[in-house]
Amino acid sequence: MTEFSSALGVAASGMRSQAQRLTHVSENIANTDTPGYRRKTVAFRPDRGPDAPQGAVMPGRVQLDRRDLTKIYDPGHPMADETGHYFGSNVDLVVELADAREAQRSYEANLKVFDQIRQMSTSLNDLLRR
Amino acid sequence: MDIRNTLATQAYTQALPKKPLRAESEPPMRETFNAAMDSAIDALREGETQARAALTTGADPHSMVMALAQTELAVQTAVTIRDRVVEAYQEILRMPV
Repeated sequence: MTEFSSALGVAASGMRSQAQRLTHVSENIANTDTPGYRRKTVAFRPDRGPDAPQGAVMPGRVQLDRRDLTKIYDPGHPMADETGHYFGSNVDLVVELADAREAQRSYEANLKVFDQIRQMSTSLNDLLRR
Repeated sequence: MDIRNTLATQAYTQALPKKPLRAESEPPMRETFNAAMDSAIDALREGETQARAALTTGADPHSMVMALAQTELAVQTAVTIRDRVVEAYQEILRMPV
């Protein structure tokens, strides 16, 4: 029983991490047109907390992408400098969409594992019931 | 007097003190069942707490789903074991004396 419950915990930690990753992706997409916004990335790391099961994953610290901000020419913009340029965000929508899709796929994989663990333990109980 | 019968009785009385029905170090069946039921009830309580937290304070839904799945498994196991125990007890009761 403990193997099943720790496996459930690991799958749930994977789903939780992917959900948080999707949060940052949606922040990036929402701030595509925010001047000076740097896209947020999050790297996963193993969760070694006291009540986390062995092998669980958790999102690490949020980091900012250090790529150069895009320079946009718009003399009428309030933040434009003397040459008429201002710095936009460094978010690439294509990258963000790919990241969101990857988060969705990983979430689905964890969900499938979760469901499979439940099915396995249920069929183990069914064996006992006969 | 049937010799084989006497021999069997002797062998049985010799074997009896050597092999008790249950080892002294083992806890009684009742305690084992109690412990199993207690852990199932604990899982149930944990699932209820998580569900209440998720619905009222907006806690992590993943934790709620995990706790509810564990509750389901624990209750299933408890019910299955109870059924087996009751079945065994009824089987003993049906034995012609």
